Amino acid sequence: MTKLFKTAALSATAALALGANAAHAADATATATAQILEQITVTRTSHLNFGTIVPDTAASGNVTVAATSAGTRTCDANLTCAGAASVSSAAFDVTASAGSTVSVTGLTGLTQLTSGTDTMAVSLAGSTLDLSLGSDTLYVGGDLTVGANQPTGTYTGNFTVSVNY
Amino acid sequence: MPNYTFHARPIFAAVALAATSIAAPAPVHANDLLVAPTRIVLNGSRGTEVILNNIGTEEATYRISLELRRMTADGNLEEVEIPNEIEEAAVEMIRYAPRRVVLPPNQPQAIRIGVRAPDALPDGEYRAHMLFRAIPRPRPVAEEEPQPTQGFNIRLTPIYGVSIPIIVRHGELAATAAISDARIVRDNDRRAISFSLSRQGEQSTYGEVIITKPGIDIPIVRARGIAVYPELTQRTVTLPVNEAFEGSLSGPVLIQYREIESDGGRLLAEARTELR
Repeated sequence: MTKLFKTAALSATAALALGANAAHAADATATATAQILEQITVTRTSHLNFGTIVPDTAASGNVTVAATSAGTRTCDANLTCAGAASVSSAAFDVTASAGSTVSVTGLTGLTQLTSGTDTMAVSLAGSTLDLSLGSDTLYVGGDLTVGANQPTGTYTGNFTVSVNY
Repeated sequence: MPNYTFHARPIFAAVALAATSIAAPAPVHANDLLVAPTRIVLNGSRGTEVILNNIGTEEATYRISLELRRMTADGNLEEVEIPNEIEEAAVEMIRYAPRRVVLPPNQPQAIRIGVRAPDALPDGEYRAHMLFRAIPRPRPVAEEEPQPTQGFNIRLTPIYGVSIPIIVRHGELAATAAISDARIVRDNDRRAISFSLSRQGEQSTYGEVIITKPGIDIPIVRARGIAVYPELTQRTVTLPVNEAFEGSLSGPVLIQYREIESDGGRLLAEARTELR
């Protein structure tokens, strides 16, 4: 049976070291083999949220949320942006062996949000992952193009994020 | 039948779990996942296993699929829209099960992987990327925003996961690598070193890059998992400099590209060069 050593270590490196100790602590007379596998984890810690946006009656405008920890929102002057407290970038914590190299794909797949028959253009972008210390956060922000008199409603869309080893 | 030897890692594995500390209030972690190992090389018909673990706080349904990725000249992977013959052959010969699993929190599941190579398969390296991701569930009511009286809401659902390369080597394959054109660059506001890594032969190269300066014990750059896949003969490698190193980067350096221990630990390429 595969056995998982669950540890509370903060870094992948520390966790791996602990796993190795646990394996060595096995009864000396028994044949105990445990191979420590390199692992990767992905944990979502926040959603991408643009807050509340009131469209302009005359012209279209853009709202962006930066792909950073702060997830700062920028709103074109002709739009009314509210609900600032709920604005955030999406965040995914990624942990792997220190110094690992990964590549993120999938974000460009989403180009349009829908609410019934209404649509709105969107493009997403991600921050750069640096796993030289074993963990980092991938932030995802986006750019919405809000049409003149964009109909009210809840616009939904699925986006994919693949962390590729 | 070709004479296969088995080089994949043994199945039985102790997977160390790195539990991330979470600031209060504890968020609902649906669809989070752990995958180990992060790369598989199969040299024959015997199989191996990959561990998938639900590290979220809720039950999740995971789907496991084979995807195709190609490496670009800057070393990133991109999704493949029109597969070539080699990629199609890879997807056809890699067998795996199960393809869909429902896991309660902290429940690991082994995914068995095997190869069934067709009789007349040409020698070469075949690769697909195994993608693990959860099927999203409707967001709980608590996470929904109140409906505005005017304007609109945006609700974006992430479908996120991990892919690892599954590499099948068929026949006697070899590859060599060489380093050239090293220089100092800036990458995302950090000091970085960039160089060209070229590859010749029938298979990918994979290993660790270590850059040292004479007289300084700690490498100024250390990066694992640097691959040059067979679709490329050359790629650029750009690696951030260790932030603990504050000295000048210009001057002589030694760049080494070395296989990982389980592949033999050979030195794949080495270059002594002057950075400026």
